[in-house]
Amino acid sequence: MSDKLTYSQVNRDVMRPLFNATSLWWGFMAIVILGLAYGGVCWGIQLVWGLGVAGYHPPVFWGVYITTFVFWVGIGHAGTLISAILFLTRSRWRTGIYRAAEAMTIFAVMTAALFPAIHVGRAWQAYWLFPYPNQRQLWQNFKSPLMWDVFAISTYFTVSTVFFLIGLVPDIAAVRDNTRGMTRKLYAAMALGWRGTDKQWHHYMAAYGFFAALATPLVLSVHSVVSWDFAMANTPGWHSTIFPPYFVAGAIYSGCAMVITLMLPLTKLFKLEAYIHIWHFEHLAKLCMFTGGILTYAYGTEYFVAWYSDNPYEWGVFVDRVVGKYWWVFWIMFMCNCVLPLVWWFKKVRTSFMGLFVVSLIINVGMWFERFNIIASSLAHSFDPAAWVYYTPTYIEIGILIFSFAWFFLWFLLFVKIMPSVAIAEIKETLRPPLKSDGEVAAK
Amino acid sequence: MAEFNRRDFLKAGAVATTATAAACSYDYVVPQEKVLPYVVNPENVQPGLANYYASLCNGCATACGLVARNKDGRVVGVEGNPDHPSGPGLCTRGHFDLVATYSPDRVAGPTDRTATLSWDDAQKRVADAITAAIAAGKSVAWLGRYRSGSVAALLDVAAARGMRRVNWELLGVDGLLAAAQSAYGVNELPVYELEGAKTIVSFGHDFLHTAFGSMAMAKGWAKAKDPSHDGFVTRLVAVEPRLGQSSSQADHWFAAKPGTESFAALAIARLCADANGYSGPAAALLAAVDVAAYATSCGIDESKLKQIAEWLAAGSSVVLPGGPTTDGGGGLDVATLLCNEVLGNIGKSVQFGRGSRPGHISAFAEVKALLDDAAAGKVGVLLLDGLDIVHLAPADLDVAAALAKCDLVVQLANEPDDSSGANTLLLPTGSGLEQWSDASTEAALHVLGQPAMVPIKDSRGLGDVLLSVVKALPAPPAVIETATVALSPPTPDLDGMAGSAASFADFLKARWLTLVKPADADAAGWWREVQAKGVVATKPTVTSPAWIGALPSDAPASAPDGGDYALVLFASHLADGRWANVPWAQELPDPISTYFWTTWAEISPATAQRLGLAEKDLVKITTGQGSIEVGWFGSPAVAEGTVAVVVGNGKKTGKYAKGRGANPLKLLSGTLTLSASSATLTRVVGDSGVHALVGNMNQDGRNVAVNVNVEDAIKNLVGAAGSIVPIHHLPTDPRVEAAGPVDMYPEPQHPTYRFAMTIDANACNGCGACQIACAVENNTPFVGPDQLRKGRTMSWIRMDRFFEGKGENPDIRYLPVMCQHCAHAPCEGVCPVLATYHNLDGLNAMIYNRCVGTRYCANNCPYTARRFNYHSWEWPESYHLMLNPDLSTREMGVMEKCTFCVQRIRSAKDLHRDVAFAEREVGKPVNMRQNEVPDAELRKLTACAAACPTDAIVFGNWNDDKSTVVKKGTTPRAYTLFGELNTKSAVHYVARVNHNQPANVAHHGGGHGEDHGGAKPDADKGTHGADAHGAAHEEG
Repeated sequence: MSDKLTYSQVNRDVMRPLFNATSLWWGFMAIVILGLAYGGVCWGIQLVWGLGVAGYHPPVFWGVYITTFVFWVGIGHAGTLISAILFLTRSRWRTGIYRAAEAMTIFAVMTAALFPAIHVGRAWQAYWLFPYPNQRQLWQNFKSPLMWDVFAISTYFTVSTVFFLIGLVPDIAAVRDNTRGMTRKLYAAMALGWRGTDKQWHHYMAAYGFFAALATPLVLSVHSVVSWDFAMANTPGWHSTIFPPYFVAGAIYSGCAMVITLMLPLTKLFKLEAYIHIWHFEHLAKLCMFTGGILTYAYGTEYFVAWYSDNPYEWGVFVDRVVGKYWWVFWIMFMCNCVLPLVWWFKKVRTSFMGLFVVSLIINVGMWFERFNIIASSLAHSFDPAAWVYYTPTYIEIGILIFSFAWFFLWFLLFVKIMPSVAIAEIKETLRPPLKSDGEVAAK
Repeated sequence: MAEFNRRDFLKAGAVATTATAAACSYDYVVPQEKVLPYVVNPENVQPGLANYYASLCNGCATACGLVARNKDGRVVGVEGNPDHPSGPGLCTRGHFDLVATYSPDRVAGPTDRTATLSWDDAQKRVADAITAAIAAGKSVAWLGRYRSGSVAALLDVAAARGMRRVNWELLGVDGLLAAAQSAYGVNELPVYELEGAKTIVSFGHDFLHTAFGSMAMAKGWAKAKDPSHDGFVTRLVAVEPRLGQSSSQADHWFAAKPGTESFAALAIARLCADANGYSGPAAALLAAVDVAAYATSCGIDESKLKQIAEWLAAGSSVVLPGGPTTDGGGGLDVATLLCNEVLGNIGKSVQFGRGSRPGHISAFAEVKALLDDAAAGKVGVLLLDGLDIVHLAPADLDVAAALAKCDLVVQLANEPDDSSGANTLLLPTGSGLEQWSDASTEAALHVLGQPAMVPIKDSRGLGDVLLSVVKALPAPPAVIETATVALSPPTPDLDGMAGSAASFADFLKARWLTLVKPADADAAGWWREVQAKGVVATKPTVTSPAWIGALPSDAPASAPDGGDYALVLFASHLADGRWANVPWAQELPDPISTYFWTTWAEISPATAQRLGLAEKDLVKITTGQGSIEVGWFGSPAVAEGTVAVVVGNGKKTGKYAKGRGANPLKLLSGTLTLSASSATLTRVVGDSGVHALVGNMNQDGRNVAVNVNVEDAIKNLVGAAGSIVPIHHLPTDPRVEAAGPVDMYPEPQHPTYRFAMTIDANACNGCGACQIACAVENNTPFVGPDQLRKGRTMSWIRMDRFFEGKGENPDIRYLPVMCQHCAHAPCEGVCPVLATYHNLDGLNAMIYNRCVGTRYCANNCPYTARRFNYHSWEWPESYHLMLNPDLSTREMGVMEKCTFCVQRIRSAKDLHRDVAFAEREVGKPVNMRQNEVPDAELRKLTACAAACPTDAIVFGNWNDDKSTVVKKGTTPRAYTLFGELNTKSAVHYVARVNHNQPANVAHHGGGHGEDHGGAKPDADKGTHGADAHGAAHEEG
């Protein structure tokens, strides 16, 4: 960090976007509310008329909703990875970006959590997925990967939320100290009586470390469990042991790309360049290049295994993906995930604003299509050729896809107005501590 | 606020609580209804128990016997009457007739289309009109379907009293009857006995489907195809331009030039005569047949004709006549009879003397003459019985105008159709399930049609209306001409009987007691017995009349009139259009194209390519009479240069029929021959909206519907030799093989029953009876064309159809696929809320109430057997009366699937348990376990098994070694679908036997098929792992 920065300067810079909403913010909010309204109407139609308003074409019983669910769970991976794993490995470059990444994680999981309810046939009975004591003696099937999902995601959500809120405590306290009246009382409540004493810091850092350690395995487990929704099924194209690592790599890939997509404009708009440099993004890009490589390798392995297994059902799906009805999905996925991001191998590209932003968007698109490719094309080309079909989404599904983005950005926009989007305390750690002599120098 | 004391707080609280409770208690998902019990039970009605009545199927002229199941006052199911020669089993039409009974379009009572009349008024109007017509010197005419039995007798009486009578059907037998008359001088139809025929040659006869007598022929065909029945497998040869449901079963297909099939038949007759040295009365005629020239004329290579003749001459055989897609009337039917004559089949497999005929039969010329007279104003009263003649007539006949010229058109139908005009008096004659009827399609076969429920609308039976018409007609001349009645003497005084009968039921009974009752039988007792059984069938007499016919003329039966493509029309599930207003019939996919709810054209893929047709395009079919635009299906089962169009749709009336597809009959003119025109085809860019329910044309090399070689099948009838099904397994690591059966989870226990099913793909001809029977039994709704285009069928049975052959070897395979009730069910593990589970009876049970609709189970089902309720499906007014009260309908958002008719299983088990309890009551020592439902009752327990006309589906207990399901399901031809997935499914398929299938040399002996073919897996009995051969190779 620049030597010119002082603690008070950090406070001012980071808290500047808080409280005073600009017309740009309101503009974004208006778009988000429109999206929510449109998607809400679509969901309402679906609740009243039934899932038939979506494009389902048996045997494709899962489509855009599960695709989007997995997409958002995947997005939800980068935050905890950056905040927890990079904290434990003491990667200093996480400092500038981890707060927003963590917030993104939580909001992404909140978005993903909508989808089980959107996707089930009887949304009003979706709570039956939770094991709770009841007089009807109903119990759940713990063999079902969907049950595992319920636990994996709720655990992940709980832990990452707690981790996020704990990380916020010193910063909230800083905000508290800069506010007055009712707002101050609210922040004071959230700051949990933080005074910044040595003793508090001592306990705090220990707790933070513990939570980081607790969150770390979840980064790997959540998407592994989500991948079991597919890998545990016998559907050709799904039934594969490679899925957990492949999904985790894909999740980190898409998550980091989403962090770039979100943070680049945020840095520009909130004038945080002093704290978040292009080399932060370059690090993220490198992480993407690494996980993207794993992903490409996994694609290759899938094909190799499908061919080597000599299983006609499996191989049938994989051939069909490339040249069959869903060829366009496959090729969007392959180009966006494996080919186009290769431009990041040029340092110039991965250190330029546009280079980073555009490629990160491409990766996001590619990763959505990856999930669509896995889900729709496998189901549409299953065991019995008599049942082969072609499924296309309807405007309802697209509406609910838009709804999910609007929902995510709703929370994110609120977040940047309420919480410091850069970790003030950690930034300050990287600065030279203020000395009494500084004041004297300034006085002179 | 100061006054807001404790009492106010409590008041406000109470109001708020009540309001909240009231708001929350409104349940819009399940409407609340009150149930009121009977104070006094109606006679013979015990709530919860069904009554069964023997009755008559009015679906077509074949008039099979059926058993109607009346539950709580409504007929909710029909099954074939096992006492009828063509029972058990009931084809699609019997079920459609049941559905049509509950049609929402049924009129409330007699109506002149402006107001509903009372029956007395309506009948008085008819009588007055008849009197007026006779006074005015105009004729009273009857135009209707084929009717046999007492209605035919009354028609005879009416005809004797001067009524002009025409009985005609589009898919009728007039051509065949004329051929029989000219060839043998008999006034009856030949009965084709397929059971013993080693070779069957069909010239387009739809013998398994829409043809007269198809139920018996389907049964005979299935037996002839079964290698364990008499040790041979029949060879079916089809000579026609388009393979339909019947001829799709052909081992060999030779497409003659459309309209020239008679040349092929004559050449074959000559070749057969040469081969077997025929010297009968037709020998002289055959000398005129120039085989080489005829071969050139029909476009089938002479060597091929020789091959067919060789097959025919080699053993017992049947040569079937023409059908809709071949012009039977144009000499072909005579030629096919000549083939049978030469082959010596007359009196054996082609039988005369049985008096086979569905009543009086008229040719279309008579229809045309009648309508011409009507147009000329010579017809006073025209009674239309079940014929939508406006829809059926060709383009050059303006039927609507002709009908308008009549003083009164009396339409005897339950709902208005295209023929209903301004001068129409619609008299609802009710359904065969509501009214008395009978049928007698053979001299020694009488079927009684008893009403099985109270009419749901104000209707009177056809017979009653006809009786009143008879009474309105002037008294007859002294001698009644009864030669057209299929019944043999003693000729009763039918006119007197009709005159004295108070109702049709009286007439019918009097007629039966006079004509059918054996002289020595006690009238009351005999009638009771007849009512219980519904059928009186005695041994038919068979005669061998001598050939008296001439050779059909040399001219091609149909002359193309300038078009590029031969146009042939065919019928599918809607038959001649009589089921067009039955949504379940519209929704039943055509077996070949798997299209539904519309009209389509079938052309060869090469033709489609030539026309440059894209998938969604329409094809415009133009003849001299006009044009229609329909969707198309590129079928390998249509000859090059031919366009085949389905009839039945294109109606203008009816809630479900209106606006569906186009009416191809309006492309025809003149004699309404379905195969006699030609047409030009042009591409029309647009969205035809046709959709194939079967996704892929073939099975992509997978082992779904499997064929075996004929010799292999005959040599390996029983299990000892091991499986002969050529299924290629996924390669397995030898170490895994060596380890034997490895299951992660133990096999479920099935202490008493392991319900299972065996489906003989060799007997299945894709007719769809199982599908519609299932829908009726299990309350599965129709979803409508828009939903069905998204593949959202609710039919629990999917009929897979694969085109595995090419050209002369069509090899079209069908496979009904439903829930396989796997022991290791992939669906069960993945349901998060345990809405589906495996029960002790081996059923994969489904709890609708528990289902939240994640649809994971359906994704994980390799058989795609599960159905999801995407919407709240429609049960429009009066279809709801058809709902089977033994099970619920399913609400939006839940999954459903085949249950093996669990409600029938329950009631069968309950019945036997009750018997055991009753025995224990009286002190008998009873082992409750011994009161298992016997195989005889289980065998046809499910709706699909009960409906299957060819006995292809058998149900039973897999734990019972002696059961039919085990015997059939463990033969060397048996296999399970996708057995390598180790789902241990309960549905066992028996491979089809095909004459073109190469011998199975790769897979034999060893330990390979033993597990399937030989011993059935012991694991099913819960002794998992006891046998090294247990379950690992279950699929065999």
